[in-house]
Order: sequence, then C-alpha cells, then structure tokens
Amino acid sequence: MLDHFAAGRSAVHRLDPAAKTVALVAVVLATVLVGRDHFLPLVPTALALGVYHALGRTPPLYVARRLLVVSPFALAIVVLFPFLEPGRVVWTLGPWGIAVTHEGLVRAGHLAAKFGLSAWATVLLLATTRFQDVLQALARLRVPRAFVVQLAFLYRYLWVLLDEGMRVGMARAARDGGLGPWRLRFHSRVGVVGVLFLRTYDRAERIYWAMAARGFDGTLHGPAAAHMHATDWLFAMLVSACGAGVVVWDQVAYG
Amino acid sequence: MAEPVLELVDVRYRYPTGSEVLRGVTFSVAAGERVGLVGPNGAGKSTLLLAMAGFLAAGGRIGVAGHTLTRGTARDVRRHLGLVFQDADDQLFMPRVVDDVAFGPATMGLVPEEVASRVAEALSAVGLDGYEERAPYHLSVGEKRRAALATVLAMRPQILALDEPSASLDPRGRRRLIALLSGLSNTLLLIGHDLDMILEVCDRTVVMDAGRVVADGPSRQVLADRALLEAHGLELPLSLAARGGPREAAAGHPPSLAPGNVDSPRATG
Repeated sequence: MLDHFAAGRSAVHRLDPAAKTVALVAVVLATVLVGRDHFLPLVPTALALGVYHALGRTPPLYVARRLLVVSPFALAIVVLFPFLEPGRVVWTLGPWGIAVTHEGLVRAGHLAAKFGLSAWATVLLLATTRFQDVLQALARLRVPRAFVVQLAFLYRYLWVLLDEGMRVGMARAARDGGLGPWRLRFHSRVGVVGVLFLRTYDRAERIYWAMAARGFDGTLHGPAAAHMHATDWLFAMLVSACGAGVVVWDQVAYG
Repeated sequence: MAEPVLELVDVRYRYPTGSEVLRGVTFSVAAGERVGLVGPNGAGKSTLLLAMAGFLAAGGRIGVAGHTLTRGTARDVRRHLGLVFQDADDQLFMPRVVDDVAFGPATMGLVPEEVASRVAEALSAVGLDGYEERAPYHLSVGEKRRAALATVLAMRPQILALDEPSASLDPRGRRRLIALLSGLSNTLLLIGHDLDMILEVCDRTVVMDAGRVVADGPSRQVLADRALLEAHGLELPLSLAARGGPREAAAGHPPSLAPGNVDSPRATG
C-alpha cells in the first residue's frame, strides 16, 4: 500500500508537504535541465536524494519495486536510442547488421539516469508524505482545483475499482477455470472490462448524487491554509537554490 | 398532528425506458416521526428517495420542510433532507473522513470554526471520534456506514432518509446502528428489508408495492399483519414470528416508551 511508509515520523516526514512538493519540482527541474550527455551535474542530485532516502528510513526494496512499476514507459524509449542515434558503431547485431552506436549508448544511459532520478524523487516524496497531504499541498500551491480534485477522486476510487475488478474477475474465473476454447475465454475477459466500465459509470452518477445531496454546486471548498515553519522554508529554499546552482554550473562548465 | 416535514402527493415517475416505477405515492411524515418504508425489490422505494431529493423529475407534489420541490428549490430541499445512500463508498468520496464530514457544512457556506465543531459533533454522535485522519478505504463496512451517516448529520437536516442502512452489517454493527438511530432526535425515514430493525426504531411503517402505497399505519400493527406482508413479498419480522405476538416483540424495548433516547441495553454489551 502506497501510504504504508508515509505515516512515519522522521525529520523528512515532518517537513511541510508543500515545502517537499516545491523541493520535488526543483529536483526534477535540476535533473531534466542538465544538458545532453552531461553526467557529472547529476551526481549532486543523486547524493541529495540518497541523504533524503536515508533520513526517511525508506526501505530500498520498496523504492525499487515502485521504480519498476513506473519504468516500462521510459525503458521503452531508452532501449531504442542505441540503435537510432548516429555515431561510432560499437557492434552490429543480427544478419541485417543493425548498428549499435557509442553515442546512442551514452544517450540511453543519460536518459535512464535522468528518468531514474526524477522517479526516485517522486517515490521518495510519496513514501514520506501521505497522499492527501500532497493533495492539500498542491491546492495550497495554487494548482488548479479541478486537477487536484481529479487526483483526489482517482486516489479514493482506484482501490474500490481494483477490488471490484478482482471480484468480477474471480466470478469469471470461478466459472471458466481457465478451460474452454480461447475465443470464449477472450470474450469473457472483454466482458469483465465492459462490466467494470458500466459499474464505474453508475458509481460516478451515484457519487454525484451523494455530492449534490450535500449541496454541491460545482465549487469546492479548499482546506484551511497551513503555516510553514522556518525549517520548511529553509528546506524548500535550500533545495531550490542547489537545483538552480546545478543548472547554472552545467551551463557554465559545459556551455 | 405536528406540521408535516415531508409531504408526498401523488408522486409519479416513469423511467426513460417507459416503465412506470412510481404510480401515485401519497403520504406525509410529521416532524419527529420515525417512519419505516418497506416493500419488495422493485417497489420503487429507492426511486422515491431519489425523487424526493430532486434527482429524478417526478410528477406530483413533493414538499420538504416547507419547500415545494422544483428545479429552483432543489438545493433548499437537499439542505433539509439528509440522504444516506446504500453504498457507503458512494457517500464517502473524499480522501479523509474529516474532509468528507466537512463537505456538507462547507458547501453550506459555514465559517471554518463552525464546520470544525459540526464535524466533531457528528463524528462523536456516530462513535467515530479519532477517525478524522483515516482514509475511508481503510474503514470496515460498519465504520463506513457510520461515517456516511456522520457526513449527513453534520448538516443537521430536519429529515434523515436512509436507504438500507443495515444491509451487509454484522449483528453487532447492526445493533450499534439501531441504538444510534434510536438515539437521534431527527425525523427519520428508514428504507429497507430489515423489518426487525424498523419495528424497533420506527413508530410507523409504510408498505409500498409496484409503485404505490399499499399500507400505512403503526409499525406494530402493519408489521404483525402476516397476510398483508406475504401478499407483498415480505415476511413477519423474526421477533414477531418467533415469539408469536407483538407484545414481546422487542424485549428490552417496552413499546409504551418511545423507542430511543436511551441506547438499547444490548447495544453496549
């Protein structure tokens, strides 16, 4: 469960969610703005994340598993680079002589590093901050309400939907037992998706009724503003300043 | 008889597909009354509830707390009519219990201090003090049901209308709910098939079948009428069937006393 480690009480857990969110944005910017193929400017970010990771006592295996979940999208692009980037050929593959270039490998490695750091930072934020606090932080940071509310609903109903999907799936499996012609099994699986869609649609209507029954008229009332302490300001400003420093250093040193 | 807070006159509704679910429902509920609305599946009970809140454009007249329901008054009507839906997962849509209970009062435009005090009051009324920060997903079915009730109580509606409140509750959860409902001072409309619960909580029972009211009277009389109940797909409440008569129906709940205001002795055990 996502929130399992977020309920901890370490120093980084206690930081204000808005300060942490700002820091995350700074870290991601400092990562993606580093020029192509520059590895050195990524090192301070990695070290900083390592310190944060240790302070939050987040289990490494948990983070690794989260990273695996989000990586397929990035990996799909990363693995194409060695073949697409023109440059010095390192070796050729297969009978058609598909060339793998040195430049391509470097580019792929750089991309993977950037992605890895950004994803690591995001996972660390969610591992040390409860999701609802992140949502409140987003609202306080003036992220459009509609977007925040969308995320809140997603978070609230994702598990309900997964549970429902599991139940429908089990009901199907209980009757087909993985036997029968593949065509029939395929049809029943498609049926599960259809049933889930209809149920979700119905649920959305009932949720709307429940909201309207309590006076919902389209405007959402935000949470009361929280106050950031000196430590929170210091943290957010320090991370932002370091991030800016990394970007400037990268520009100056590498042109 | 006190001023009616809920008045239904010849309420009719036809699904867009053409089948008629409400065929002229007429009854009214006086302030402070506790009314059970029973009937077989498909009788139109839940549809009536949605029509009362103005979610379905029904014919006839619906009056809630002095407001006649029209498109323009739907919001006023909903402010006085607290609907508790059957599936608590539909009712609890915010990330934390406290946000959910605060949703109604906040949309009413109350100041934050008033919202906070109503949230605390509603949560303690349903016995969920200390659940503020919990995520609805992690609550048990019984806790979700009580939290859903709190979201509506926080709005202090004149009428509470609950759809199948005891469905899928274990006996202890059900007991607790009965004690809780009996202790409320709101006007109550309880919809469902748990006739034993209705017998304990409600003084009056309305029976619906095929979109019409087929019986309306004191619970102890209506729910003891085996022929009537069986004709409409219902059964005698277990407490009446087993013990042979309404006199002993709710042992521990002498019928001469208003049921409620005190928790059922069994609920605390």
